[in-house]
Amino acid sequence: MPALIPKLPRWGAAWLGFALPLLAGAGPPADADIAAAWQLMAGSLARDAYTRLDRIPGAPTREQALAQAVVVIDYQPVTPDRLQEAEAVFAELARGQDEIADAAAYLQARLYQVHYQQPDPVRAAALYRALAERHPDSHWAQLGLVKLGLLLLYALPEPAAPAERIAAATALLPRIKETKLQRDLHLQIAHAGTFYEQPLDTVLPHLIEVDRIGGLVGQAPEDLAIELGELSLRAGHYAQARAYFEAYLRDFTPNIRSVTVRRRLEDLAALEAKAQEARR
Amino acid sequence: MKVRANSIGLGLLVLGYIFAVYWVFTRSTPVVSSRPVTIRLAHWQIEKGPPDGVDAIIRRYEELNPRVKVEQVLVPGRVYNQWMRTNLVGGKGVDLIEYGVWLDGLTDIPARYFEPITEAMQRPNPYNRGTPLEKVPWVLTFTDGLLTQRVSAPDPGQFYAATLTEVSVRLFCNRNLLKEITGSTRTPRTFAELRVLFREVTAYANRTGRPIHAMAGARDNATWLLQVLLGGSMMQRSQRNDRHGTLALYNWDALGLYLDGHWSYRSPEIRAGLALMREVSLNMKPGFVQSLRDAATQEFLRGDALFIFAGTWDGTSIRGLADFPIDVLRFPQPTKDDPVMGPYFFGAFADGGGGTAMEFYLNKQSPHQREAIDFLHFMTSVEGSQLFTDHSGWLPATREVRIPPDIVAYKTPLDCYSFGAEYMTIGSSVNAAILRNFYLLTGAQGSVDRFVEAMEAEMPAAVRSDLGKEIANRGIIVRPQDVRIMAAAALSRRSPQDPNLPLARERLESSQTQSEALMLQMSRQLAVAGPAK
Repeated sequence: MPALIPKLPRWGAAWLGFALPLLAGAGPPADADIAAAWQLMAGSLARDAYTRLDRIPGAPTREQALAQAVVVIDYQPVTPDRLQEAEAVFAELARGQDEIADAAAYLQARLYQVHYQQPDPVRAAALYRALAERHPDSHWAQLGLVKLGLLLLYALPEPAAPAERIAAATALLPRIKETKLQRDLHLQIAHAGTFYEQPLDTVLPHLIEVDRIGGLVGQAPEDLAIELGELSLRAGHYAQARAYFEAYLRDFTPNIRSVTVRRRLEDLAALEAKAQEARR
Repeated sequence: MKVRANSIGLGLLVLGYIFAVYWVFTRSTPVVSSRPVTIRLAHWQIEKGPPDGVDAIIRRYEELNPRVKVEQVLVPGRVYNQWMRTNLVGGKGVDLIEYGVWLDGLTDIPARYFEPITEAMQRPNPYNRGTPLEKVPWVLTFTDGLLTQRVSAPDPGQFYAATLTEVSVRLFCNRNLLKEITGSTRTPRTFAELRVLFREVTAYANRTGRPIHAMAGARDNATWLLQVLLGGSMMQRSQRNDRHGTLALYNWDALGLYLDGHWSYRSPEIRAGLALMREVSLNMKPGFVQSLRDAATQEFLRGDALFIFAGTWDGTSIRGLADFPIDVLRFPQPTKDDPVMGPYFFGAFADGGGGTAMEFYLNKQSPHQREAIDFLHFMTSVEGSQLFTDHSGWLPATREVRIPPDIVAYKTPLDCYSFGAEYMTIGSSVNAAILRNFYLLTGAQGSVDRFVEAMEAEMPAAVRSDLGKEIANRGIIVRPQDVRIMAAAALSRRSPQDPNLPLARERLESSQTQSEALMLQMSRQLAVAGPAK
C-alpha cells in the first residue's frame, strides 16, 4: 500500500510556498550572484548563468562584465552578432592590467580560433602572440602559447613544410613555464610528427617528456604507453621498447590490445636476437 | 415522501464522499511521492533478460535508498533514435540514457547532451565497499577498463559512460539438427570445416526436400559477421597503416587513411573478407537482406537453419525460446592455409574482443545528476552487476562478478587480435553505403566485384562527409569548454584553498587541447589529402 503523505512535509510545503517568494524578492548580493553564475557555467548551464547575471542591478564590475561576455559563447543559439558584442567586451577588458585582462585577451583569440563561424587562425595567432609578449607568465598567455602551437602545426599558412611547422611549435616550448601545459604541447608535437611521418627519433623525445610529466586522463595515458613502446621498437630502440611495453602490461587493465602488445614483445625478442647475431 | 427521497440522496452523497476520501488516502498513489527524487533510465535492450536484470538492480537500490525512485524506460530499437533525439532536443530526456556510437545519425548527441563523468571515474565506487574493488578507481572496476567507451568518447580526455555488460558474437548451433545432418554433434573448428558442413547441409536439404539452410539469414546478423570478417582480413594492413603506433586505428584515422590512399574496398585484404562473407551468405535463405534479426531468430527457432550467427545480446532470447538443445561456439576462423584469407593471415581475430557495452550516459539536463551518478555507481558495483548477470543471462561488465556456467561461452578470452577499425561502422555515411549496397555482395546475382565497384563510387564522398561530421562533433565539445575553463578559473580565484578546482581546470584544458588538435589534424587531412575532393 502506498504511504500517505506525511503531515510534516505538507505543512513544510505550505510554509515554503509562502516564504519563497519573499526570500526571492530580497535578492542576494551581486558578488554572490556572480559566484553562482560561474558555478552554473562550470556545470554547463549557460542559460541559467545568463539569467542569474542579467538580474544584477547597477553598473557591472570587471568580473561581471567578463562573466557576461563569457556566457554568450555558450548561450544557444550562438549568433555572429552576439559573438561580436562579446569580442568588444573582451577587447575593452583586455586593456587592463589584471588577470581579467589576460583572460579577456585570451578569449578574444579563442573567438577567432574556434567560435566564429569562419575561423581566422592568422588573427588568432597574432592575438596569442601579443598576449604572450605583454604578460608572458600569465596562465592565459601560457595556455595561448599551447593553442598557438596547434595553429602552427596544422592551420597557419606559414611555415608550410611539416618539419618547419614542427620546429616552429617546438620553439614555443621554452616559453611555456607551466609543466602541464608543456606536456600538452609536447604530446601534440609528437602526434603531428607521426601524422606528417617525420623521423621517429624526432617524435620520441616529446612522448618521453609527456610520460615524465604525467597526469593525463581518459584514453590518452594508455595510448601513450603503447605509442612509446611501438615507436621505440620501430626506431630500433629495443631495450626502451621492451621497458615501455612491459610497463603497459603492468599498469593497465588487460584488454584486447594487450594481446597485440604481447605479440609485439615476441617480435621484439626476435629482432633483438637478430641484432645480437649481426653483432657477432 | 419527497423529504425521505432527499434524505436518501443526501445519505448516498455523504457515503460516496466518505468512500472517495477513504480511497484517496489509502488506495491511490500519493499526490507527492514518498520518495522525493525520481530518476529514469532508458535503453533499447528489450530482449529477454536485460529488463529483468535492471529491475533486480532497481529493487535492491530502492531498498538501500528510500529517498529515490528509479524507473526503467524500455524503448524499442526501431524508434530509439527518433525518441532519443526528440526528447533531448525538447529538454525532456531521462536522466541516464543508453547510447552507442554506431547509432545512425546521432554522432553529435554525446557532445551536445551528455555530461562527462571523469571526476567520478577517478574515485572508487562507494558501493564496492567490502569487496576486492573497494579501493579501485571506478574506471578500473570494468573488465575492459572502459576501453570501448574511451575510444569512442567525443573528447579523448574525458569519460562519458559506464557499461553494464560485455558482448561478443557467437555461432548458436541446433545440436539435434547437427546430429540429424552429420550423424555427430561435433561442431566445426575452422572455416575449412565449416565449408564442408555447408556442403553437407545443402546435400541434406536436397535429399530430404526440407527448406534448411546452414545459416539463419537476416541483414543484421550478416552485417555483424561482415564486421568480424573485415576486421580480421584487414589486420596486416591495419598494422601497416598504424602511423601513430597505438596498435589500433580510430575511426577518424581509418577515414583519413582512406583519403590518403592507404586502403580502399579494392585492397586485396578487404576483398578476401568480402569473399568469405559471400561464401557464408550463399548458405543463407535467398533475399535475407530484406529481413531483420527477428526473422533470423524465428528461422533458427523453427529448425530451418542449423546455425545462427548472433550477438550474445540475443542469447537469452534464443536459448529461452528454443525447444532443442543449443551449443554456443566461436565462429570458425580461417587458418593460415586458407585459400582465400591465408595470404593475409595475422592470427585469430576478435569476435567480441572483450569490450563492454550497454553504456549509460548522464543527461546534461538531468535535474538529479548526483542521484543518477549514485545509481550508476550501484548498477555497476559488484553487487549490482551480479544482480544484473543473474537475472538477465548477460555477461557482467564489472570485475569480480561470478559468471553463471551457462554463459561462460559468451566470454571472449584474450587470445585474439583486433586493430580497432572494422572498416564498416567507421562513420554513418560509410555504414549507410555498405547497407545500401550489401545486396550486391550477397545476392544470387551479386559478386565481390559488383559490391566493390559500387562502394568505391560512393566512398570518397561518404568518407569526406564522415570526417566532416567528426570535426563538427568535436567543435561542439570544444567551444563550450572555454566557458567551463573560465568558470573553473574564476571559482579557483574565489576559493584558492580548494585543490580540486585547479585540477578540474587543468584537465579541461588538456582534454580541450587534445580534441582541438584532432579537429585541426582532420581538417588538414580534408584540405590536402584524397583522390576525390
